[in-house]
Amino acid sequence: MRQRRLDVETAFNAVLLGLGGVIAYVAWGYGFGSLALPGPGLYPFFLGATIAACAAALIAARARAGEAAPRLDKHGARILLVTAATLCLWILAMPVLGYVAVTFIATYALSKALALEGWRKPLALSGATALFVYLLFGFWLFIDLPRGILFE
Amino acid sequence: MPDWDLLLTGFANSATAANLIACFAGALIGTLVGVLPGLGPTATMALLLPFTIPYGPTTGLIMMTGIWYGAMYGGSTTSVLVNIPGEAASVVTCLDGYQMAKQGRAGAALALVAAGSFVAGTLGILGLQLLAPVLGAAALSFGPPEFLGFMILAFVLLANLSADAPLKGALMIAFGLFLSTIGINPMDSYPRFTFGTEKLMLGIDFLPIAMGLFGISEVLTIAAARYVRPLVSRVRLRELYPNRDELRRSVKPMLRGSVLGFFMGLLPGPCTVISTFVSYAIEKRLSKTPQRFGHGAVEGVVGPESANNSAVMGSMIPLLTLGIPFAAPSAIMLAGLRMHNVEPGPTLFGTHPEVFWTFIAAMYLGNLMLLVLNLPLVGLFARVASIRPQLLLPVISVICLVGVYSVRNAFFDVWVMIAAGVIGFFLRRWGYPIAPFIIGVVLGPTTETSLRQTLLMFKGDLSLIAGRPLAATMLSIAATFIAWRLAARLWGKRSVLALDEGKGL
Repeated sequence: MRQRRLDVETAFNAVLLGLGGVIAYVAWGYGFGSLALPGPGLYPFFLGATIAACAAALIAARARAGEAAPRLDKHGARILLVTAATLCLWILAMPVLGYVAVTFIATYALSKALALEGWRKPLALSGATALFVYLLFGFWLFIDLPRGILFE
Repeated sequence: MPDWDLLLTGFANSATAANLIACFAGALIGTLVGVLPGLGPTATMALLLPFTIPYGPTTGLIMMTGIWYGAMYGGSTTSVLVNIPGEAASVVTCLDGYQMAKQGRAGAALALVAAGSFVAGTLGILGLQLLAPVLGAAALSFGPPEFLGFMILAFVLLANLSADAPLKGALMIAFGLFLSTIGINPMDSYPRFTFGTEKLMLGIDFLPIAMGLFGISEVLTIAAARYVRPLVSRVRLRELYPNRDELRRSVKPMLRGSVLGFFMGLLPGPCTVISTFVSYAIEKRLSKTPQRFGHGAVEGVVGPESANNSAVMGSMIPLLTLGIPFAAPSAIMLAGLRMHNVEPGPTLFGTHPEVFWTFIAAMYLGNLMLLVLNLPLVGLFARVASIRPQLLLPVISVICLVGVYSVRNAFFDVWVMIAAGVIGFFLRRWGYPIAPFIIGVVLGPTTETSLRQTLLMFKGDLSLIAGRPLAATMLSIAATFIAWRLAARLWGKRSVLALDEGKGL
């Protein structure tokens, strides 16, 4: 028997179908009012229903076509994970380390993740980017960004 | 009769240091973005939007438009020299532009593209200058039913023109419209989809979504792809002169492309991209030697490149006169103007005439700057095309992070941007168009207000919309378009079935 692989795009459409249903359900609770005096729920209900209908139609179309979305290769998946993780870590570390230091570290990590060879080039790139970000935001635009516990 | 005094005042206003620098910076950054494969004008505009906030709406608008049409100029450079389109609107240019480069005519192709873009840009600005105030005045008489009609027609066309599958386009528009309903509804102050969270009361900010979908998702897309270093042809300044025959063959395509692009810009969807394909098809049809197309026909380079530049100006008309953006870059511009409390639309010419006329004047200057910038620096821009993404992407990512945080000093916005970036990455992979989503987010509040006001006006009886000729026409066109698409699909299926039966399958 042929094993069916989970199609990620169909799964995504199924999530949207569910989400459309939830939006319509929640909007229902806000009240429709009447057509002459529409309530706050009428418009989002219509949108939720449209999202659910489009997602259902796309699921049906994919099932008929019998095609599966192209899978991300190992290289792509690794880059996606490392980049997203670095961006998330930037947010978590920024209040503690300050925007200049965290920008330096994030740029270094990203350039290594993207296979920038050696350590000199990534270091120079990170230094230049951190300096540019400091000059742009702190010096030119006077935006008060977290400087970190060491520089407060 | 155009108001030339206002234009002169616009020139005086645009001659401030801030506006001139914004114009030059926009043109230069736009050209670089156009040259660099991957990072498009929409992502760059979203990325730079926060930096324009301290400088006022006019300066911001000038810079944003400079980036957009600078990218149209720059996109052609890589198409001709490397056979890689810098952005989507330059795909067609690869067909004949690269062939010209292989025949040693790269310099001539680039010079004619620059000249064509300049002529088209200038004619487009002239068209905008003449038409926008007239249409803006006419739009003053529009009520909620007319705006609702325009909006529905725009959504129907957008869903059909932006994606291979119109359902995907419709899904993205509906999702964008939904996102704009989160927060307190201004019509009745009712909080929706906030789930008791204070952060969601004011809604989800547009900027993190735009930067995530266009900036971070592009970074992820380029990073996940395997990089192949392009081979760049060298061009010297003295090689930029086209010969007499090339010049003669370029004039008409240039003018045709300019007019065609301007009117294509009035349509919803990726107008700059569509205009290039239509222009190429027209030039090939009109040519006495269509067999040369695909083998280095100068008409196939100049026509489309002129069309995409004037399409930028054409697409400014619905934005400035109706406040309805028909393309992703103009949606970013609308968001930028709203950040400055300037609402584009019919009243713009009365409430903020200086914004419009300074913008027009600056565009004339910007167009000239682009011509001066592009021709002598073509060799430099060609080298920029070979910058490795490993050097660019980390810098773009961290500037996105700091940029989006700096707008409201809110980490929540940065989380939204990253989430939008990852979602955008998969949407791109699966062929879901992002532009309709972002236009949906921007137009959501106006659409709901127009719908509810129309229902209130007609006391719930929507059949009364037939008494509003313009709104009824818009809705009829939308309905006809949907019916035509459905019929074509059904007819197509029947034809396939008939063919299959004929083959005995």
